[in-house]
Amino acid sequence: MSRPTLSSWKRAAGGLALATVIGLGCDAPPVVPTADVRQNTRNARIDGNLVVQSRARGNVVVFLYDADRPPPPQGTGRPITFTVVPAEKLFGPALAGDTPGPFVAPFSFSLVPAGRYMLRGFIDVNGCGSDAGADCRRSDFNPWYGVTSEPNAGDVGGAAVDASGRPLTVEVVADADGQPQPLTGVAVSFSDTARVLRDRPTFQVVQGDGQLGSSQKLLRIQPLSIHDGAVDQRPDGFAVSYLDADNDGTPDGFWPRVVVRKLANDASNLVDENDLDRDGVPDDTGVDYARADGSQDGVPDVVVLNARLVPDSIIAALTDENGNPRMEGAVVPELVVEVRPQALDARVPTNPVPLRELPRGRYAVVLIQPSGQTWRVPNELAPALASGLGLPAVESQAFFLEVP
Amino acid sequence: MKTLTALKRAGLLAMCLCAGEALADARLEARRHFRSGMSLIAQKQYDAGIAELEAAYAIKPHPNVLFNIARAYQDSGRSKEALEVYQRYLASNPPDAASVMPLVAALEEKRKAEEAQAAAAQDPSSLPMPPPPAGTQSQQQLSALLERLEKAIERAEAMPVGSATIPGLTPTGVASANADDTAGGVDLGAVPYEERVVTASRRAQSSLDAPNATTVITAEDIRLSGATSLPELLRRVPGADVMALGVGSANVSLRGFNQRIANKVLVLVDGRTEYQDFLGLTIWSSIPIGLEEIERIEVIRGPGSALYGANAMLGVVNIITRAPGTGPRAQFNVTGGTGNTAAGSFVSHGGSGAMRYRAAAGYSQTDKWSRDYASGLPDVTLRGPDPDLGARGARASLSAVYTFAEGRQVGLSGGVNRFTTEIYPPGLLRNYFIDGVNAFAKGDVELGPLKLKTFWNHISSDAGPQYEATGQRSLVTSLSSNLFNAELLFARDFELAGTHQLNIGVEGRIKRVDWGDYLGPLREQVHAAFFVQDEWRIVEPLALVASYRVDRHPLLNLGSPGLAHSPRISALFKPFENHAFRASAASAFREPTFLESYTQLTVPVPGINGVSTLTTGNQQLRPERLTAFELGWRGESPELGIDLDVAVYQNTVRDLIGLSGVSRLPPGQSYDPGTGSYLLGSSSFQNEDAIYTARGAEAGVTLAPVDGLGLKLSASLQDVTSDRESAAECGPCNQAPQFRLYGGLTYRSRADLEFGVDAAYTSASTWIEREPAAADPTRIDLVSNPLRAYTVVNARVGYMAVKDTVTVALVGSHLGGAHSQHPFGNRIERRVYATLTVTP
Repeated sequence: MSRPTLSSWKRAAGGLALATVIGLGCDAPPVVPTADVRQNTRNARIDGNLVVQSRARGNVVVFLYDADRPPPPQGTGRPITFTVVPAEKLFGPALAGDTPGPFVAPFSFSLVPAGRYMLRGFIDVNGCGSDAGADCRRSDFNPWYGVTSEPNAGDVGGAAVDASGRPLTVEVVADADGQPQPLTGVAVSFSDTARVLRDRPTFQVVQGDGQLGSSQKLLRIQPLSIHDGAVDQRPDGFAVSYLDADNDGTPDGFWPRVVVRKLANDASNLVDENDLDRDGVPDDTGVDYARADGSQDGVPDVVVLNARLVPDSIIAALTDENGNPRMEGAVVPELVVEVRPQALDARVPTNPVPLRELPRGRYAVVLIQPSGQTWRVPNELAPALASGLGLPAVESQAFFLEVP
Repeated sequence: MKTLTALKRAGLLAMCLCAGEALADARLEARRHFRSGMSLIAQKQYDAGIAELEAAYAIKPHPNVLFNIARAYQDSGRSKEALEVYQRYLASNPPDAASVMPLVAALEEKRKAEEAQAAAAQDPSSLPMPPPPAGTQSQQQLSALLERLEKAIERAEAMPVGSATIPGLTPTGVASANADDTAGGVDLGAVPYEERVVTASRRAQSSLDAPNATTVITAEDIRLSGATSLPELLRRVPGADVMALGVGSANVSLRGFNQRIANKVLVLVDGRTEYQDFLGLTIWSSIPIGLEEIERIEVIRGPGSALYGANAMLGVVNIITRAPGTGPRAQFNVTGGTGNTAAGSFVSHGGSGAMRYRAAAGYSQTDKWSRDYASGLPDVTLRGPDPDLGARGARASLSAVYTFAEGRQVGLSGGVNRFTTEIYPPGLLRNYFIDGVNAFAKGDVELGPLKLKTFWNHISSDAGPQYEATGQRSLVTSLSSNLFNAELLFARDFELAGTHQLNIGVEGRIKRVDWGDYLGPLREQVHAAFFVQDEWRIVEPLALVASYRVDRHPLLNLGSPGLAHSPRISALFKPFENHAFRASAASAFREPTFLESYTQLTVPVPGINGVSTLTTGNQQLRPERLTAFELGWRGESPELGIDLDVAVYQNTVRDLIGLSGVSRLPPGQSYDPGTGSYLLGSSSFQNEDAIYTARGAEAGVTLAPVDGLGLKLSASLQDVTSDRESAAECGPCNQAPQFRLYGGLTYRSRADLEFGVDAAYTSASTWIEREPAAADPTRIDLVSNPLRAYTVVNARVGYMAVKDTVTVALVGSHLGGAHSQHPFGNRIERRVYATLTVTP
């Protein structure tokens, strides 16, 4: 083996130095999203705090709505997303007591695209403490079923509100590059003053068959108590009141409102027609019916039937013994729904457009209370579905209106 | 004009290639010289023959070559030179030294006698010496020895190279039939420069005798490739799927069925598993050895469960480190390059008396090729230790062997690697970081035919998604895995209607995995196994190799302890010298991982913070099973410097384990208080009903046609079909590239220069990911992600600045251009490195 010489070492060092100069680089790796769909989004987030002043205890569920598609009673929108703040996290050591707070806990909505939003929520009250009776109300919110996905009596409502307490519309804005910017510091307030007073308007059709012909159909409906398994609804009647939709001081109708919505043709599920993804927004593709004038707008329709509550019994209940209106409302044991053989495209709810023909198929009947609570039949309690879902089977909940 | 220019360039290239003494594939070149030399010697052209043998020895020293040089000198009547070479042979401490020493003594006496005679001839006054008394015992012994030796050499020379050992003349380092099966002992084989493997039969044997298709990557291949990672080296293996998703994360499969978290190939380091049972993967960047410590890598392309048990389903990669004490006393490597690549290592071999050791330490780091997300995004939070870092490791290892006597030794080794790298789990989980420690300790005792092998593997780390949606519950957690293994092996040869080489082994293994939210409580499994293999040489040229292994797994019988049987039968037919035809049938299996068996993981649904899906393990899983049939041919042409390898196969895979779709939970189980979220549903690991059939062909050729030039070419074709799934829905069918091609060229010159370039082409494929539907996450959509064909081109230029002491090299990796090897993988960029190697 030959001994290394100084010149050899220099040559080696020089070669290495040259190679290093050629090769060395210190640039950070480039940002290149892969084909993974999760990486090819432009989103931000909404962060904030829940501020709770309530003696109620339970998990807090916060919903995010598209401001253009508000939830009932303002609209028919469904939440884009929701988050849960567990009671343990919110109330901490005070969970076992009934002190009113205030209690504060952070919440967050992740991966929110640019847009205008509304935040609503409620405390899903768990009233079954150690000394509660058997009749207590447990936390019963369950987002996966229509019959369990809304607040009930005793729950505490909340929303993002402005300084004056009015519901707030928040906006996630995008910067000049189109990158949405995070919206932070949003407060969602809950207070015992917003306690939900009633259960959902659970009902059953007690008179009237399900066939709609060429004449109007009258459906007599009564409240239905269901306290079985995951469902706990104990309505004591229908809360009726005057509806002043345009806020002009003159009643335009009555609460609850009634909607008769066309269902998708697939009899195995309860999905609304043209809303197969159940997001409350008409699908991009679907059925487009001819309008009364023979035209078609080229987009899927939201088909409803012309329906209303028969006012006779309601007006009587809303009139006091002096003949004055009871603006605070009343509770009645029964309602009559009138369904006329006229179909409308309610894609724009404020401007329903009559359709030329009555689309054949199944229709669901929906009642909407002023609190935004709703109930519809048919629902998952229909015996054909309930057993598979682990829900109690209730025969009356299989009712639907059919246009043959 | 163009033609003239082309001719000039071709001529220049030819001159370059033929200039001077040069080396490419050292084994093939040395073998070519050896065979040429032996042929010349047989023709009594002793000088030319000895020159060829000397050339072979210079390229790659082998004690048998010395013996043959000595013998040639002796036959040509040059006792003095013969004696010198015999003494060099004895200096290498061959096991047959006792047999050779009398011959040397006789030659010395002869030389002394000649010197005495010469002196007497010069001194006329002296009286002539009387002849030695005839018939003395010592003379008879010497005569008998010489006669026996000559016959043995004649037999050896008549034998086909690579087919037999030389009885009674087993030279230095030649492993006996019971040689260490997987450790990195120096096994040069009885026949000089034949390719030797230990993995296919758990004992040393010629590649021609291996019952599986086998590919060997030598230390020289590694060095000349300039590769910086183990998976990169495996691209040269016919049928190997190497899929790099990150710079430190690659998935390697053989003959299809590659995936994120490739889990069907068993990776061993000196026989010690590096397969991580908690998730079912090999974390290549965590292995606590450096490339410079590797003697060779043996790749078994085909089922290996008959000898290695679980997870050796599609193949075995056995990384064999250089035996302690057989390398340089000190070697330093320093590397720097683009992508903030920096690496340094030190290796030292030494010994004292019967003790030999190898010590090594190293550090390496490199940036990712690309990042999935930019910094400072409002919706994504970095969880990993460094957004740019692709892999980093600081490692050290020590290996020592104490030899009491021939066939009796104790080996102890240990290593640790403090590493950070990436892994890409399947399903809804995405790019994970893993940051922790991988360590092992190993002890081997060899007592003749008995060997006891024990090891402990440990890994502890933090792991979780590198990026998570801000505000979403994190899945980052810590894990700890310990594996204790003990194995007792027995090997024996015997005669019964032919020659039998019997190997028997029993094995016990304890696995303990603690993986926080992923697995729940500490999980422990106890495994046991028994295997037997008999290689039966019925009659030349036919041999049968029968292997059988039974593994006891704690869950395989529907959640109770059950057995997995793995038989293998191979027939070897060698009708011509240097050619072996092989037919084999085998079954193999992959056991369910801890994640697949036990997990209870609630995975947040992206964008809906109040919702999770529950992923549950299934303790009643059946193992994934493979039934394989293979026909192969291995041919060697030592005179031309060519090795050929061809294989056709059919693999039938059933019971693949995958995640089911999401099923709704009963209403009472919808809320998970542990995570404060509602469970959309649960999905569980399950065995698929579909049966997949992979058919393919592989061919490889290695050439060293002229000194200095080495060529490696391989191609593989495969087609995967399913009995149930349509072509559009079948993941394994679409994900397996149908065609792969590899070409490598090396040129080494003793004028201090080395060149190497290799290119690996992989045809286009389509990856079918199972994604929850956006509208209804309980529904699984099959999302097709096409992946374009790509070619990986690497090149190296080395310059030996100081002979045998200092080498500098410039290495370019992925010179073929930016590409991805998986739709969810990094965009792989070119990188250039400079390396300095000093062996003082």
